[in-house]
Amino acid sequence: MVDVREDILARLLVVVAAIPSIRSSYRNNIETAENQLPAVIVLDGDEETNEANNRPSNSPILVQMTPGIILQVSDANTAGSVVNTFRGDMIKRVLFDTELNSLIAKSSPRGNGAIHYLGCQTDVGWMRTGYAALTAQFMFKYTLRPEQL
Amino acid sequence: MSVDFNTDCYDPVYSVLGVPATLTVAATVVELTVLDKTRRKTVASGGAEVSSVGPGVKVRMLELAAKGITVGQWDGALLTFNGRSWIVRKGDVLGSPNGEDLGQVWLLLKEAAVG
Repeated sequence: MVDVREDILARLLVVVAAIPSIRSSYRNNIETAENQLPAVIVLDGDEETNEANNRPSNSPILVQMTPGIILQVSDANTAGSVVNTFRGDMIKRVLFDTELNSLIAKSSPRGNGAIHYLGCQTDVGWMRTGYAALTAQFMFKYTLRPEQL
Repeated sequence: MSVDFNTDCYDPVYSVLGVPATLTVAATVVELTVLDKTRRKTVASGGAEVSSVGPGVKVRMLELAAKGITVGQWDGALLTFNGRSWIVRKGDVLGSPNGEDLGQVWLLLKEAAVG
C-alpha cells in the first residue's frame, strides 16, 4: 500500500519539527500552551482534483493537496520578527527537502508533480508576553493511484 | 441619594481582596493596594489556540492620585505584587458612577523578565 498523501504529511512534520529553536511540533493538535512555544503544527488540509474526464474510475488522478502549517511564538515586543525568521527557514526547508521532492517525483514520473508555497496569514496578540502566529499554506501536486491504496 | 463608590464599594472590596503592590515609575516608588486580575487567557490564530494568562490588576484612581501618579505615568512602570514583577503595558481607565477620577484603572501587564 502506498498513500502518498500520508507520506507527504508525515514527512512534512519531520521537516518543520527540525527548524532550529522549535520546542514543540504537532500534527492536527490545535490546542497548545505558552510553555510549549515556539510550536509548529501541521494541519492535514484539503485536497482537490480536476477530474471531470470520461476515464476509467481507477485511473491515476492528479491531486492538489494544501496542508497548513501554523507557527506560534512568544516574545516581548519582537514576536513579529521572530515568527518571520521561522517562516523563512520553514519555506526553504519544505521546498528544498529531498524526501518531499522525491515523494512527488515518484508519484508523478511524467514531471507534473510540484511543491509550491501559496502564502501565509499572520496574527498577533498579548498573553503573559507578546504573541505572534503565522499560518502558511503549501500546495503539493501529486498523482494519486487508486490501485496503490 | 448618591452612592460614594469608593467608600461604599471599592474600599470594602480592596480591604478584603486587595494585595500590597509596589509601583516604580522612573525614580519614584509608591506603595499601592491592587486587585490581582490575572486570569486564564487564550489567543487564537489559524484555527489553533494557545493558552496562557492575561496578567493584570485593578487600582483605584483615587489612590493613584493620592500617591502622585497621573494618567499615563503607569506606562512602562514596574509593578510588583504577589511575588512577581511585571511591566505595565497600558492602563484602561474604567470609570465609575462618580466619574473616572473616582473609578479604577485596569493595568494590563507583561512579563518583566522579557523586557
